[in-house]
Amino acid sequence: MDVLAGLGQGFAVAFDPINLLYCFIGVFIGTLVGVLPGIGPISAMSLLLPVTLSGTPESGIIMMAGIYYGSMYGGSTTAVLVNIPGEAASVVTCLDGHEMAKRGRAGPALGIAALGSFVAGTFAIVALMLVAPILAKVAVAFGPPEYFSLMVLGLTILSFLTQGSMIKALLMAAVGVVIGLIGLDQINAMPRLTFDRLELVDGIGLVPVVMGLFGVSEILSNIEQQIRRDIVQSRIGSLWPSREDLKASAGPIGRGTLLGFLLGVLPGGGAVISSFASYAIEKKLSRTPERFGKGAIEGVAGPEAANNAAAGGAFIPLMTLGIPPNVIMALLLGAFVIHGLQPGPLMMSQNPKIFWGIIASMYVGNVMLLVLNMPLIGMWVQVLKAPYKILFPLILMFCIVGVFASGNAVFDVFVMIGTGVLGYLMRKFGYEAAPLVLAFVLGPMLENNLRKSLILSEGGFDIFVVRPISLACLVVAILLLLAPLLPALRKRREKVALDVTE
Amino acid sequence: MVRRAEFWGGLFWLAFGAFVTWQGWLLELGTLREPGSGFVFFWLGLMIAVFAVVITLDGVRGRGPLLADLWRGARWRNVLMVILALIAFGFLFEGLGFVLCSLALLLFLMTFVDPVKPVLSIPISVVAAVGVWYVLEKVLLVQLPKGSWLEGLPLVG
Repeated sequence: MDVLAGLGQGFAVAFDPINLLYCFIGVFIGTLVGVLPGIGPISAMSLLLPVTLSGTPESGIIMMAGIYYGSMYGGSTTAVLVNIPGEAASVVTCLDGHEMAKRGRAGPALGIAALGSFVAGTFAIVALMLVAPILAKVAVAFGPPEYFSLMVLGLTILSFLTQGSMIKALLMAAVGVVIGLIGLDQINAMPRLTFDRLELVDGIGLVPVVMGLFGVSEILSNIEQQIRRDIVQSRIGSLWPSREDLKASAGPIGRGTLLGFLLGVLPGGGAVISSFASYAIEKKLSRTPERFGKGAIEGVAGPEAANNAAAGGAFIPLMTLGIPPNVIMALLLGAFVIHGLQPGPLMMSQNPKIFWGIIASMYVGNVMLLVLNMPLIGMWVQVLKAPYKILFPLILMFCIVGVFASGNAVFDVFVMIGTGVLGYLMRKFGYEAAPLVLAFVLGPMLENNLRKSLILSEGGFDIFVVRPISLACLVVAILLLLAPLLPALRKRREKVALDVTE
Repeated sequence: MVRRAEFWGGLFWLAFGAFVTWQGWLLELGTLREPGSGFVFFWLGLMIAVFAVVITLDGVRGRGPLLADLWRGARWRNVLMVILALIAFGFLFEGLGFVLCSLALLLFLMTFVDPVKPVLSIPISVVAAVGVWYVLEKVLLVQLPKGSWLEGLPLVG
C-alpha cells in the first residue's frame, strides 16, 4: 500500500508540466547522444550537470535520469544503421543489427530494439519500485565496515568485468581513490596533495575529470583515425516486427531483462557487460548459433533488453545505499549532492517526493522514448549524416563550457585538458577509465569508512570479518581477485573481452 | 624491452606510486587505532607500485604491443594540434572572453585539424559561439568570462 501511495505521489510530481518538459528534454538529449557516436551519456550528463542547478532538485534529476536511459535507446539506432555503437552498451547490437539492416531488415531490427528496450525498461522500474523499499530497510543497519566492504566489492567487480588486464584495472581503481582524496582530510581538515594551490583545497571536481577522461579523450582517439560511416542506404521500411520475429524475440527479451536487471543492481556491473552476457547466453541457447553475427533478431532483442534493464537496476544501489554502482550513477549522485540531497536508506522517508517522483518519471520517460524512437528514426538518420569534422569541434566547445559552468573556474578547464590527455594515453596503453572514475567518486567514502571502522574497532581488522554482510562482500571480492588465477575462469573472462573486439 | 608499451606504462605508474607513498609518509600514517591523514595514501601508493612492477615486468618479458605500434598509421598531428589548441584556449579564456576564444577555437579546429569548407566553418563557428553564449548568459544565467584584456573597448560591456 505504501508503494502505491508513494507512486501516486510520484506521478503527481512526474506529471507536473515543468517536470514533463525536463523529462522530455532528458530523453531527447539522451537519444541524441546515444545516436551520435563520439559523445555518450557520461559526457552529456557532465555537460548538463550545472544546468540542473537552475531548476528544482526533482526536475534536474529527472532530466539526468532521462539522458541515461534515453541514450540506451538511442545507441541501438547507430549500431543498426551505421555499424558504430552510439554508446558502449550497443556494441553487441552492431553484430546482428547491422547485418539485418544490410539484408533490408533495418526496420524490424530497430523496432525490436525499441520494443525490447521498452519492455525491459518498464520491468526494471517496477522491480526498482518493489525492491528499493525493502533494501532501504536493510541498509539502515549498514555501518562503516559494511559500507567499506561493499565499496571494495563494487570496485573489484568493476575491475573484474573490464576488458583486458585485471592488474591494470585494479591499478586504475587505486589511482582513482588517490585522486579522489586530494583536498582537505574529512576527519582532521589537513590539506593533502594540494601543493599549496587554493583550487585543490576542495578537491578535484567530478565534472572536469569525467569530461576529460571520457569526452576529450574520446575525441582525441577519434580524430587520429579516419572515421568511415557506412550508413545503410536502403529504405528502412516498416518498424513493426513480424509475428515470427516477435515469437523469436520473446524469450531473449525476457532473459535479457532479468539478467540485465540483476547485473545492473550489482555494484560495478552494468549495461555494457549485461548486453555481452545476454548475447553469449542467446547464442548458447540457440539451436542455430551459426546465424548469430549474420542477422539473427535474437542477437538484437536480448542485448537491447539487457542494457535497458541494467540501466534501471543501477538506480537501486544509489537510491537505497547511496553507493553509485557505475560512473553514470556517480554523476547522478553528483546531481543529488549539488541540491543538498544524500541518496541512501533514509531518502525514501525524508524526501519521498523526489524518490517517487524520479521513479514515476521513468515510466513517463519510457513511453516518451517509445514514441520518440518509432516515428523519429528518419530524423535520427539525418543527424547521423552530420560529418564528425563538424561535430567534434562543437562537442569540444560544449565540454569546455560544461566544465567551466560547473565550477566557474578556468582551473577546471586545465584539469579537463590534463585528464583528457591522460585518458587518451590510457586508451593507447590499454588502461580502462571506468574503474578510475568510480574509485574517484567512492574514494572519500571508502577512506572515511575505513578509518571510522578502525577507530571503532580500536585498530582491529576483525571488524570487517565479524559482521556477516561485510564478510560476505569481502569473501566475494577475494574470490573475484583470485579468479583470474584459475585457467578456466581466466579463459571465460578473456572471452568476454574477445567478443567485444569481434 | 625498452620498445614495449607495457614497460614504459609500468614505469610511469611505478614513479606515481612511489610519489604517493612518499606523500603518505610525509602526511603521517598515524596508528591503526587512529589512522592519520597519510594512512590510506601510503598503502595505496604501495599497491600502485606493486601493480606497476608487475606491468613493467610484463614489458621486460616482451609482452604487450610495441610502443611504436600504438601510433602506427594514426594521424597523431591532429591529436597534438587539438591538445595545443585547448591549452592555448585555457590561457586565453579569461583574457579574450568566451565568445572570441570559442570562435577562434572552432575556426582553428575546422580549418587546420580536419578542414571544413569556409562557407560552412565560419557560419557554424559564429552561430555556435554566440548561441552558446546567449543560452548560458541570458537564459541559464551562467557567468562566462567577458575578456579582461578587452575591458574598456566600446563593444564590450
